[in-house]
Amino acid sequence: MAIVQSRSRSAIAWQITKYSLLSIGAIIMVVPFIDMFLGALRTPAERLARPPVYWPQDPQWINFKRVFTETPALIWFKNSIFITLSVTFIQLLTSSMAGYALAKYKFRGSNLLFRGVLGAQMFPFFLFIIPIFFILRYFPLAGGNSLFGQGGSGFLNTYVAIILPFAITWYGIFLMRQFFMGVPDELLDAARLDGAGEFKIFFIIVLPLVLPGLATLGIFVFVYQWNEVIWTMTVTRTAPDLQTLPVGIYLLRGAFTEEATQSLQQAAVAVSIIPVMVAFLLLQRFYVRGLTAGSVKG
Amino acid sequence: MTDQSAPLPRDEFFDDAEPLTLGQRISSKAVAPWLFLSPMLAFGVIFFILPILFAAYISLTKWNSLTSPRFIGLKNYEYLLTVDPKFWDTFWNTIYFAAGTLTIGIPLALVLAYAFTRAYGQAFWRSIYWLPMITNVVAVAYIWKFLLDDSFGLVNMALGKLGLPGPGWLTDPNFAMLSVILVFVWMQLGHNMLLFSAGLANIDESYYEAARLDGAGETQLFLRITVPLLKPTILFVLITNFITGLSYFTLMLVLTEGGPVGSTNVTALYMYKMAFEDLRMGRASAVAYILFAFILVVTLIQLRIFRRGGVEAH
Amino acid sequence: MTTTSHRRTALVAALLASSALAAPAQAADKTITIATHYNQEQMAPLLACFDQYEAENPGTEIVFQQASYRDFLQTIMTARVGGTSPDIYNIYSIWAPQLADAGTLAEPPADIAEFVNANYGEGTVGAATINGTLYGIPTELSVYQLFYNKKILAEAGYDAPPATWDELAEIAAKVTKKNDQGNITVAGYTYGPSVANAVHVFYSQMFAAGVAPYSDDFRKTNFLDPEAIRIVERQGKLFADGSTSNSVTTDDFAANGAAMAIMANWQKSSMMDAFGDEFENTVGIAPIPHDGGDPGTMLYSFFWAVDSASKHPEESWALLEWLNSQRDGGLSCTGQMLNDLGALTGNLGDLEAMETDDSFTKPFVDAIESGAAKSQPNIWQASENDRILRSYIEKVWAGQMSAEDALSAADAEVTAILAEQDY
Repeated sequence: MAIVQSRSRSAIAWQITKYSLLSIGAIIMVVPFIDMFLGALRTPAERLARPPVYWPQDPQWINFKRVFTETPALIWFKNSIFITLSVTFIQLLTSSMAGYALAKYKFRGSNLLFRGVLGAQMFPFFLFIIPIFFILRYFPLAGGNSLFGQGGSGFLNTYVAIILPFAITWYGIFLMRQFFMGVPDELLDAARLDGAGEFKIFFIIVLPLVLPGLATLGIFVFVYQWNEVIWTMTVTRTAPDLQTLPVGIYLLRGAFTEEATQSLQQAAVAVSIIPVMVAFLLLQRFYVRGLTAGSVKG
Repeated sequence: MTDQSAPLPRDEFFDDAEPLTLGQRISSKAVAPWLFLSPMLAFGVIFFILPILFAAYISLTKWNSLTSPRFIGLKNYEYLLTVDPKFWDTFWNTIYFAAGTLTIGIPLALVLAYAFTRAYGQAFWRSIYWLPMITNVVAVAYIWKFLLDDSFGLVNMALGKLGLPGPGWLTDPNFAMLSVILVFVWMQLGHNMLLFSAGLANIDESYYEAARLDGAGETQLFLRITVPLLKPTILFVLITNFITGLSYFTLMLVLTEGGPVGSTNVTALYMYKMAFEDLRMGRASAVAYILFAFILVVTLIQLRIFRRGGVEAH
Repeated sequence: MTTTSHRRTALVAALLASSALAAPAQAADKTITIATHYNQEQMAPLLACFDQYEAENPGTEIVFQQASYRDFLQTIMTARVGGTSPDIYNIYSIWAPQLADAGTLAEPPADIAEFVNANYGEGTVGAATINGTLYGIPTELSVYQLFYNKKILAEAGYDAPPATWDELAEIAAKVTKKNDQGNITVAGYTYGPSVANAVHVFYSQMFAAGVAPYSDDFRKTNFLDPEAIRIVERQGKLFADGSTSNSVTTDDFAANGAAMAIMANWQKSSMMDAFGDEFENTVGIAPIPHDGGDPGTMLYSFFWAVDSASKHPEESWALLEWLNSQRDGGLSCTGQMLNDLGALTGNLGDLEAMETDDSFTKPFVDAIESGAAKSQPNIWQASENDRILRSYIEKVWAGQMSAEDALSAADAEVTAILAEQDY
């Protein structure tokens, strides 16, 4: 009896600890967003007061509209959507094609290529910033360049410069290969016996079977690309009409240094978060798979 | 399977008399894989192999990108490793950052993931803990800039209410890197919790039941069963986080621009600014290569540990 | 308050338009792209002139591109590297040596050079000249002086601004207010996060002490002069006294959050916005505090330059001459814009036509006319050197290094970079 009692007491204590831990953590996760949200609603006078007024007395909901009418946020927003969707589509295509080839064909060098895909993931992004910038700049016959890459501006200041370097993802290829491995070979052979060509087999038969894989990679790429800053900033510094939401907000920071304009900046920040939040909430279960697939054997 | 109009009899495939059409040849089993691989191969050459070689060459030159590069051998490397007073500072900052995110972030993620997997309302908790992870870094930086303001930020206001001192989170060189680490941990917590909870789900409940019968409390369960059984996941998270930490610089660029007093200037940020502010492309490429070499060594050690720790090669 | 927010509204609205304008131009015979760090609202008088010029010169289209000041050099450098340079840009004089060395700047034709020599003050022409070659038409001139908040000082019983740095330190300590946590709510004195916030102030104080920051040939620094060391030492002491900290910036001055700061005259319009009717009663201007001797300070300038890769160099120079010539005896287009900003100009005709007698502007103009304000030296790789210098000054502020050690280290690094221009 005594044992049971002490057990249940410790069980209750554990329940309390567990939920308090999670709650404290949750507060720390959420309060910063609320702080930003309140900031977006403050008036300039509330900000200029010393100390500043914390709870907006006259919430400026209009700031969320002003963001679109008074800053280039609409252009940024469109660019973000266009670039993110393009990259997502291209990466899904290239990753599934390459992943399929590596999973389902045996040919000379296939093993070596797969090792290459694994190894390539070890190369950090920062190593590529400088050389890719110049490769795009001196790309032959692009943007007024001659055959030797001289004379014009190459792909710089075009969407191509933002999108193309993200055309393939080694991790995505690896991930899709894992998904294709789960498709039985018998299915492919049966289709071949029916006389279907390899492309038809891939696009019509196999691809629909790995939709969960595509969703997983898709949400992964979407979130990554929507939030990408360094590369986009590097190639759109002189092209304000190509900037995305995070990049635009960052590069226009000079216009927001005065207290009076900071509410607008915070409203822009809120706007930059919302689309990805929606996409994520809809597809979050696929995200889990993308992170954990192939990483750990329990 | 809609296209039934011209099924190719299998026998014809091997009929030497009739040569294959181009379409048949392309969709044959020998050619198709290469076509499937062609985007990867083409982009891999242009945006992977070529840049690596190009960067290696630039790192051996003095180049401001406006005039022609001048070959100077290993001078950039020599300068960085032996003369440059900043390089090593940024290197130690990099290590500090990477190690700091591990020390603070991993135990936190582990404990919370443990509580999370045993709590009701998982969808609710998950949505909350993942919020920062999907937020773009510019937003994160601006959110925290306001929160961490010395005199009027919410953090110091709250500390003040409790009668605690309010440090200059982003303005005091002794605190700035810690602040960057904390913000980064906040951003990454959901990500690491996710990895841990996946690992936790793989631990058989019978282990816990057996231990409970022996009268073990929750703390003991966690320390004696969870942690040892989760070792492969912990190793994986530790090491991938460390490598990510070594090459990370976006948050520093946006939040502190490397300051104050260079206290948050990490090597990758140093490289970026050297290249695109001072146009020292050669030296910046050398910085990139030195940091890369270091990361490569860490990665190779990681692979060793993984094999021993039972983690699948990644 | 409404006027302020209206002005801001227009400011940000302008940015929208500017980025729309930056889109690739439609096919016109000649498209001339002009980049400045001014925003659309500030540019308004010039934009009106552009329209007029387009009307008078059919077939010419003028496109305005804005980049924020902090990123401006990086933007034109990246544009240059990327082969997407504008035809004309308004550049900060200290960027010129690097740009000229890289062959980025076009040399003006002889008639433009004559125009400049005839209509501009000697100091500003010098700022646009590298190794004896003139590279453009001077525009905005900025001079540093001590700003002080009259009300805050009066509250503490001070009717006059400090004349020496010791007085400044004493006043600063007295007017500083802190909250319970010891964080500053009203700073006695303030610096700021930008490179200029530290380096320009240091140079200004050097000139005030009668020592130029660099040797005449720009190959050596004078950072190790006893005056230089004393200046930085005393800056460090302000931090040690708690009269300032990194958490307050020059922006706080406009929010009554700082009592004193060394700033440039271009702050005028934002100060007027912030203080409104109380502007004259609040903002005071005084010479840079120094220990005896003549007053001194630093001025820096911008100038219009044409990119050497421009496809329309002749038209670009012609446009610039038109923009900088007085209209009907009044201000030139550039002059009108600078005047509306509350900025000063190196154009003598414009300076004459500007209203410069108010209590805010007069001390700045006096400093120019008396020669007290010395031009910022156009040293090699200036922006990089300034960044290095700031990083060491910061170490003194933070109490991590003594002024002497910090300046020795800065001297070593900067001297090495200055030597690079000779090979």
